[in-house]
Amino acid sequence: MRLTCLALAAGLVCLVGPVAAQPWDLLDSGKLLATGGVSQIEGAGGGGLANWALITGYGTRDGIGANLHYTTVLLPDYRLQSAGVAIGLFDRLELSYAWQEFDTQDVGAALGLGLGRGFTFHQNIFGAKLKLIGDAVYEQDEWLPQISIGLQHKENDRGAIIGAIGGRSDEGTDYYLSASKLFLAQSLLLNATWRQTRANQFGILGFGGDKQDSYSAQFEGSAAYLFSRRFAVGAELRTKPSNLSIAREQNAWDVFAAYFFNKNVSATLAYADLGSIVIRENQRGAYLSLQAGL
Amino acid sequence: MKKLILILLVLPAVSFAQGTNVINQKGRRFIPAEVTIRQGQSLTVTNNDEFIHQIYSEGLFDSAERRPGQNIVEDFPRSGTFEVRCHIHPKMKLIVHVN
Amino acid sequence: MKKAIPVSFAMLLALTAPGISQDTLFADMGGQAGIDRIVEASVENYLADPCIKAVFEESNMDRVRAQFKIQFCQIAGGPCQYTGHGMAEAHKGLHLTNADFNAVVEDLQDAMDKVGLPFATQNRFLARLAPMQRHVVTK
Repeated sequence: MRLTCLALAAGLVCLVGPVAAQPWDLLDSGKLLATGGVSQIEGAGGGGLANWALITGYGTRDGIGANLHYTTVLLPDYRLQSAGVAIGLFDRLELSYAWQEFDTQDVGAALGLGLGRGFTFHQNIFGAKLKLIGDAVYEQDEWLPQISIGLQHKENDRGAIIGAIGGRSDEGTDYYLSASKLFLAQSLLLNATWRQTRANQFGILGFGGDKQDSYSAQFEGSAAYLFSRRFAVGAELRTKPSNLSIAREQNAWDVFAAYFFNKNVSATLAYADLGSIVIRENQRGAYLSLQAGL
Repeated sequence: MKKLILILLVLPAVSFAQGTNVINQKGRRFIPAEVTIRQGQSLTVTNNDEFIHQIYSEGLFDSAERRPGQNIVEDFPRSGTFEVRCHIHPKMKLIVHVN
Repeated sequence: MKKAIPVSFAMLLALTAPGISQDTLFADMGGQAGIDRIVEASVENYLADPCIKAVFEESNMDRVRAQFKIQFCQIAGGPCQYTGHGMAEAHKGLHLTNADFNAVVEDLQDAMDKVGLPFATQNRFLARLAPMQRHVVTK
């Protein structure tokens, strides 16, 4: 007899099935709680701002996991939302799609570009991540972290406005290399990512600019302390290029708390500082994200 | 190779017919699970499994452990019916009838 | 001061280095009595877990319990010497997956919760068990 474990909202239910493999066997929900990370702002598995080397979802290397996410960031002068879907295949390959909406609220009108109140930018972000080597969770006796490479291809719908503010392109691709390791004896998860990007404000204001047009190397890192199987608290830092002369950019950071109700639902609450965005300084506010899947 | 296959095919049949004395441990079972031998004969138990096994029989013997590929030889000096088991896998049972 | 910097950096590294943890783990787990309680509770969980109870159904559970107690004692830094089978040869025939391994970890975490072991202490112990995955999981 073959046991199939399929995680349902009510808990872990094991179905006794026939000897032959069934398609639903792949949804094994076998990873330990929280080890798929949450959904970062561009849709990849990770923290909130930072990418991680972990592959999203609860599928082990023998299976598949997938999830949906919704994120809202409430800043003094803007609102950023993100929603998306991601799938983790055999704990090896992650594919993601995220839709982003950046609402300029009153700022658009103040720019003198003929934008009304509540002018929005949208992005479609297509992501892929491949685990190269290492296992962040099991290899507690090795120094080597889990290392993944990935890309995020971003397409913005406001090409004309991007051009008007000095941006060079309305689409671009970020490339990154991430390393993650769970230091289990210290209940500490550490992540570091090197990102090559031309994106202005994550791509919301296009790619490349009048100050700098080429790719630059950026860093993002996070540290999370696990208080329990369900609850982690941490901080993130993400550096950004400053390609546009009219819109100085600063490093972004946040402190967060993530709660994993079970392998189907998690919620992340953070206080994020995205720094200066266009003509408004000190864009700090609440970040809320929900992820549902298996 | 053909000779070996022929011998292996014949062996189980021979165990039932004449009480010869080779038992396989495979799938955490004794194969065959029941055997008849003559008093004074010995039994060779071969571990053809993926697990470490041993064999014991109350009042008779309690063997050392054997890895896959190894075997044990035990004598049956008295007549009667005996149960042979494995300490590691309590569901394994071999009945030996000694005439 | 010049010497203190490399020495203190080395100490910091030593604290976080894989495989090197404080020696108090055995005591923090309640000594042999605490470990015995954890083993009893975790085995109860394994046998009730529909995902993995089949893994144990052919095994001599008294023997398995006794071996866990000695092995966990040794792993936690206690005065025990585990002389049982190596992890690879003991598990090879079971064809275990990562999902099986993780199910056991979760049952063990539940048992450690039940006996009241702090999460941080649980993780110090699990950190020493985690490297077994490469020997125990063969599928």
